[in-house]
Amino acid sequence: MRTRRITKLLAALLMAWVGSARAADEEVVIGAAQPITGRFAFAGVAINAGLQDYIAYANEAKLVKGKKLVYQYEDSGYDTDKAVATFKKIMAQYKPVAMYGESTGLGKAIAPELNGRYKVLYGSASFSSELADPKTHPYSFVSGPTYSDMFGVLLEYIAKNPKGPGKPKVAFFYSDTEFGKDPIPYAKKKAAELGVEVVAEIVTKVGAVDVTTEVLTLKKAQPDYCIFQGYVLSPITEVIRGARDFGLKTTFMGAMWSVDKAIIDKLGPDAEGYMGVNPYAYYYEEVPGIVAMRKYNEKAHPGVKYQPNSYIQGWFTGMVFVETIRRTVAAGKPVTGDNLRQALAGIKDWDVGGIIGKVSFVDNKVPTGRVYRANVQKGTFEPASDWITLK
Amino acid sequence: MLIGNFKETYSADEALFRTATVRAWMGVLAVGLLAFPFLVGDYLLYLANLVGVLAIGALGLNILTGFTGQISLGHAAFMGVGAYVAAILSTRFGLPFWLAVPAGGAGACLAGMVVGVPSLRIKGLYLAIATLAAQVIFEWIFTNWTGVTGGIRGLNVPPARLLGFAFDTDRRVYYLVFAVAAAHTYFASNLFRTRVGRAFIAVRDRDLSAELMGVNLFRTKILAFMISSYYAGIAGGLWVYFTKVVTPENFPLSLSIQYLTIIIVGGLGSIRGTLFGTVFVTMVPEMLKAATQSLRPFFPNAMSYLFPMRDIVFGAMIVAFLVFEPHGLAEMWNRTKRFFALWPFKK
Repeated sequence: MRTRRITKLLAALLMAWVGSARAADEEVVIGAAQPITGRFAFAGVAINAGLQDYIAYANEAKLVKGKKLVYQYEDSGYDTDKAVATFKKIMAQYKPVAMYGESTGLGKAIAPELNGRYKVLYGSASFSSELADPKTHPYSFVSGPTYSDMFGVLLEYIAKNPKGPGKPKVAFFYSDTEFGKDPIPYAKKKAAELGVEVVAEIVTKVGAVDVTTEVLTLKKAQPDYCIFQGYVLSPITEVIRGARDFGLKTTFMGAMWSVDKAIIDKLGPDAEGYMGVNPYAYYYEEVPGIVAMRKYNEKAHPGVKYQPNSYIQGWFTGMVFVETIRRTVAAGKPVTGDNLRQALAGIKDWDVGGIIGKVSFVDNKVPTGRVYRANVQKGTFEPASDWITLK
Repeated sequence: MLIGNFKETYSADEALFRTATVRAWMGVLAVGLLAFPFLVGDYLLYLANLVGVLAIGALGLNILTGFTGQISLGHAAFMGVGAYVAAILSTRFGLPFWLAVPAGGAGACLAGMVVGVPSLRIKGLYLAIATLAAQVIFEWIFTNWTGVTGGIRGLNVPPARLLGFAFDTDRRVYYLVFAVAAAHTYFASNLFRTRVGRAFIAVRDRDLSAELMGVNLFRTKILAFMISSYYAGIAGGLWVYFTKVVTPENFPLSLSIQYLTIIIVGGLGSIRGTLFGTVFVTMVPEMLKAATQSLRPFFPNAMSYLFPMRDIVFGAMIVAFLVFEPHGLAEMWNRTKRFFALWPFKK
């Protein structure tokens, strides 16, 4: 009995192998080292699902003529060493033309070999401005604005919406990690340019629990706006609650990871007035790109009512991969990392159905974002501005 | 079957590898290690390099914790010191790697000396906490001394070069790493055949008795800290030339704990065990990953449960080790060897 089952299994594997070998001449492989376990798993699982779904969607819709897109991913556990190993494993095993990577750390560690040896288009879960530098990372791109750009969008909004006479006062509240500190130098420069006064800079550990002193600092500085960076939930919720207890009128703002629906669910009524910048539209918005995404989800994952921002990040990255491949194929060029990179640089005013404002890649990133405000009754974020594109 | 081992000279008695059989097997191992990069793909080669670097660091921790009985939770920080010293010397001052890596070792050695000073007064868990403080302090320095360490973004390091030969591919780095690892394993094996090494063991077993026998406790403990962090520093220096980038997030507390796991699983106070432990801790999670990966086609929607299962299985394996084999993989190896010593004549 058991042997028969094993034989069946082997037969199935063999068939799969033969099947894939036969179709090999038309396949284009997109690889991914995804943080499905580890500290970043909260986003990694959804990013992976988004990317996988979009590639399946593109295959169904036959977006790239004459090619079958294949998605090969592995878990990399949000550990740079293991992620580099996983990256190399996928490169050796499947020879992809584009790769997705789990972190800023991986992007930096793989850069020398990516530029010198692998030469594949590289997208990632990182919004670090460092990876968007075409000089040092010519094959990398950021799926949207960098953290610096997100700060730029928020600061432009603040400069246009002062809360009273005089210069708007803003506080930066960030973690002492790469993720937290990345945009701060740019943000200070930008604030000075826009005439926004930075009245406090508060640095904490990630997941700091006692935030009383930090809230007191805020109370002393009385900023109109306070921007968080480098956190997901904790300690944003604690700070907002503490500030409400002290009767502060400050508007709190977050970027990307901390403007997901989860934060409204966690804060409840205290989320009133919470704002933030999101590079992407939300899953419940009525724009063509999102509607298509929802339609696909209804079919592929019946019962799923909501997909977080990280899913949309994965989906959009999938769109970029597929679009560069489509353009390369349409131009009659072979699908290689170098040609994909050129196709990426040529993307100007690309309409993605409102998932993100008009997409133009400038220095391997899309410096566009939209400011949203929490609506506690509905438990959603609603647009507070139009898409803001940085010059 | 070997029934006796007759030695005629002192040098035969003192040899590290005493019998022809052992020497033959070591030769096979050496040839195997030399041929390894040509037999495997990128992925295994990269993991092998990782094992090599970690093994050097783990040897250092075993010298301190396994042989001298001083617990350290700051081993990753010493590795970080070595990495930063090597990276800074090579990027700012253009020092070649064969000077920068030993300088990293020396830098870590000095740091270890300072951190080791309290070890005369405090022992056991208290020392663990003191070294934990070192971990936190060094991590803070790596992150915030931006002018020197490059802050949170770290430093990018060019590949190592020796007489115009660049160690820029994994295969080349492999030979570099394994040459250094072999030399350090050899040194560690010999260390415990000297007066200093035996003093370490005496301090571990009963520090008061050791002192009564004439071992200078303070000097011995500091020396253990220095040698241990020197090893960590060398590992850090090599690591820089292996990954070509160094950031503070590369040396977290969890790495210190991983080092402790390696030496506990491998066998406290065993050089061979350290090497086994490093291979086990690095490779087993990867094997479990491959196993979950192969299950994926059958459970396409369960991957967010399947992948974390791996960590649970790995954790359970470590607990099982502690319960069933507290002396680690080294002891399992010895038992296997004893079994085969008289095989097939003894049941």
